[in-house]
Amino acid sequence: MKGDDAIITVELEGRKIKVPAGLTVIEALWDTGHDVKRGIGCLSGLCGACTVAFIERESKKVRFGLGCQKVIEEGMNVIMIPCFPCRAARYSLEAVALEKLKELYDELYTCNDCRACNICPEWINVAGVMRAAMAGDYEAAAAQVTDCVMCGLCASRCPKNIAPHFVALYIQRALARERPSPPNLESRLEEIESFRYDGEWSRVAAMDDEALREFCTAMAGR
Amino acid sequence: MYPQAMCDLIDIVDGTRGKRKGEAIERLSAAELKELLARYHPDYREAAFRNLRVGVNRGDRTTHEIADLLEAFSDLDHSKIDLRPEYDADVLVLGGGGAGVTAALFAEGMGARVILATKLRLGNSNTIMALGGMQVSVHESDSPVRHFADTMAAGKFAGNRKLVKTMVEDGPRIVQWLLDLGVDFDRDGEGNLAVKGGGGLSAPRIISIGDYTGLNIMKVLKDQIRQVEGIDVFEFSPAVELTTNEFGECNGAVLYDLGRKRHFVVRARAVVLATGGSGRLHMQGFPTSNNFGATGDALILAYRAGARLEGIDSFQYHPTGIMFPEHMVGVLVTEAIRSLGAHLVNARGERFVNELETRDACAAAIIRECERGNGVRIPSGATGVWLDTPLLEETREKGFLKGRFPSLFRHFMRVRLDISKQPLLVYPTLHYQNGGILIDEKGETTVKNLFTAGEAAGGIHGRNRAMGNSLLDIFVFGRRAGLAAAKRKYNEPGNVTLNHVHRYYDRLKALRISSTAKSPTLFPEFIVNKL
Repeated sequence: MKGDDAIITVELEGRKIKVPAGLTVIEALWDTGHDVKRGIGCLSGLCGACTVAFIERESKKVRFGLGCQKVIEEGMNVIMIPCFPCRAARYSLEAVALEKLKELYDELYTCNDCRACNICPEWINVAGVMRAAMAGDYEAAAAQVTDCVMCGLCASRCPKNIAPHFVALYIQRALARERPSPPNLESRLEEIESFRYDGEWSRVAAMDDEALREFCTAMAGR
Repeated sequence: MYPQAMCDLIDIVDGTRGKRKGEAIERLSAAELKELLARYHPDYREAAFRNLRVGVNRGDRTTHEIADLLEAFSDLDHSKIDLRPEYDADVLVLGGGGAGVTAALFAEGMGARVILATKLRLGNSNTIMALGGMQVSVHESDSPVRHFADTMAAGKFAGNRKLVKTMVEDGPRIVQWLLDLGVDFDRDGEGNLAVKGGGGLSAPRIISIGDYTGLNIMKVLKDQIRQVEGIDVFEFSPAVELTTNEFGECNGAVLYDLGRKRHFVVRARAVVLATGGSGRLHMQGFPTSNNFGATGDALILAYRAGARLEGIDSFQYHPTGIMFPEHMVGVLVTEAIRSLGAHLVNARGERFVNELETRDACAAAIIRECERGNGVRIPSGATGVWLDTPLLEETREKGFLKGRFPSLFRHFMRVRLDISKQPLLVYPTLHYQNGGILIDEKGETTVKNLFTAGEAAGGIHGRNRAMGNSLLDIFVFGRRAGLAAAKRKYNEPGNVTLNHVHRYYDRLKALRISSTAKSPTLFPEFIVNKL
């Protein structure tokens, strides 16, 4: 962990190199003079730009994560995979509908639940989402992907060329568009369109700075 | 996992938790607040500021970090640039965050041919990091006028009334647009948009999508850009200079292709500058919650072109930025944690401020505590105070944090910190540029055909931005800038020149200002040693 000045040896982008302990993959790349721009975004684990693949010392398993969050360890072999090709369907907004899912993403229905996609850095059960989508339980699918950062790691693992993040996003959009309009928003829009607040606005416009200050303070107190 | 030395310090927090539960700390009086801010808020630290010597805002106060860049020459050798445009568009949008994408979509909808250029990937922005939510007056106890009053008061009445009125009035309409695009805001039992309260709000007004509001909006907007025909997206192509015609009107930009390391020019009838804020300049050495690309480029480019800036001496420091582990330094812990009752605790295990004070007051109080020597000093040398999250588990219920803040909980579990059992070490983090390039209600700057939207724009939030108003502002003014820019599509753009830059340089030289800084910054340096 941080605080000690230990130097560790890692294999970074295919090269054995010494770095201080406690850095993230991205920090280690910077620290060793790699001019990385592609694959860097928010540095908070939210934008999904900095996907990495790595093997830990004495492990046989390739694992995946976000480069701004993954702290490197002695003997780790790590590379960045800043983008991976995956297909996003084209559709017009007016035609977005849940029934169209099969037409737009027919490869989804070849999913045999191998669960190779369950490597999500946000700990989403991707295979579970795909199962729900195939079964037509769209609400259940959408409820699990609010935290999806669209890094696309799941798509990179799918032997059937499914892009689970795009499938899930389509379901989210289609569901949202099918929901009835929120009554509170509708009535507010109606009020605005019928000039309900114009009287109050013209009073505010006529106020000098002092009067505005009083008006706002009084309103906050109410 | 905390090292042993820190665990010993945490024992003190655990030890006073029971006693603190029953304690009430009074809110600050107006006079106390004023004194606290004047002594400890970074915006009031006179040594950190100076007055600009050149340009439209000559004499105005700003931080050294921004002044250094405004009073600097560019890295670019202008004599070696071929200014013949490689691309021609009706509208050039610079910036791929919420404001830029919204402007591009609306401009495209008006039939304009749009080029959107962004420094990093489309969508890599501070928009996706907007966790809390978005203010919009839809609750029955609320009104646009009330939203206006709260926003003006939060900004200490320094905001421009017309811009604030525009923002709050457009709010409900822009939410309707987002819903139509398929953004799934949280609903209540009756299908209403669910609204929450927040610091400084006189009615419940925050709408959200779980604790990842901005991310979920951005996902949909990015998807929509893919679906429309008229927008070309250039990623990894930051703007390094605007261009102007013989009348000083903006007519394009010089972009830098990061991959191929070459410059190229896009000529346009109107330009929308939406490249966000300046947190990565690490003002006064503060950590920041901002994304990698937030280096204040918009301010530099627009200022050289002659645009007036507004309020560039005011920044928002979010009180609870992470201090440990080091790779998460600056990352935000949402304000909601404090709203729900978590205590801020110093090294002696004592509270020192009512946690429901506004962001600026809480930040100043934490700085005061650390300057008085009551801060928690950790092995790396950094100081901070504790945010006592386990308290919420005790006062609410077991599993409360995991249930209410799943992503926050997970982020710390990844580094083996269980926030339901151990407190977090926090310190104020540079969060938002309150000022920016002055705009009118159309989003146009004082330079013709140059529009600005989002955090780059100024005049809306006064001297302090209320929670949830930035997400609203980017869509409202992104839309307005996009629409107004599209209407310029029959303009004659004129010759592409850098005359404004030469004029600006001449003034710098005349004043014998020779800065070692180069601007725009584009990418922060020495980021590993950011503290």
